[in-house]
Amino acid sequence: MTLYEKIKTIYPSLEDKDFVTVIRLQNDSDGKGDFIAKWEHPTLARPTKEQLA
Amino acid sequence: MAALIPSASATGSGTMTLAGPSTNSNQTITIPDATGTMMVSGNMPAFRAYRNGAQTISAATTTKVAFNAETFDTNNNFDSTTNYRFTPTVAGYYQVNSTVGFTTSSGQLSIYKNGSNYQTGIEVTYNASLGGHIPISDIVYCNGSTDYIEIYVYLLLGTTISSGETNTSFSASMVRGA
Repeated sequence: MTLYEKIKTIYPSLEDKDFVTVIRLQNDSDGKGDFIAKWEHPTLARPTKEQLA
Repeated sequence: MAALIPSASATGSGTMTLAGPSTNSNQTITIPDATGTMMVSGNMPAFRAYRNGAQTISAATTTKVAFNAETFDTNNNFDSTTNYRFTPTVAGYYQVNSTVGFTTSSGQLSIYKNGSNYQTGIEVTYNASLGGHIPISDIVYCNGSTDYIEIYVYLLLGTTISSGETNTSFSASMVRGA
């Protein structure tokens, strides 16, 4: 399951536009995988490492 | 009357030669009324890289395109093995172009300078008959030492980007000196 899919599972209410405006997931193609580069959602808290594990 | 005066600060011992034309026609070189470094092919870096093999992209995840093969790289300024970035060693303004082919979904490209978004292009939606290719271009100033340029892609759905020189490429060339 990708990071995006995990986040959508935790917060099903998130819409596509949220991942362009207030959340940015990023992958630098350096072998470290996807990560949260920005989380500025006004009401939903940034998922914890435990939630994303 | 113009005179050719060697710079007092010149340090090299090489000879500067202005060669005459190989025909009997007269040729004229007009030097612009400005101070600066004259750019010639030998000090104007240009490269073109492409993606060899499909690259998997997660949905809604801004991902650096790993351009892992080169068409040409005149000054060895593109890294096609580790960081997939262009770090020109001559200061100046560079015309940057990229196209990324993809196999479903919709998305857009961004030019990144020094790890930050410099310009995001138009959104392109995949067409089952025509396929999908996202273009972007801009002019970027680079300081000739630490500045670097990369290409990132954002796709709404998880998919792969296409392989090959005609599908997924990244190029840049100096258009004027600093």
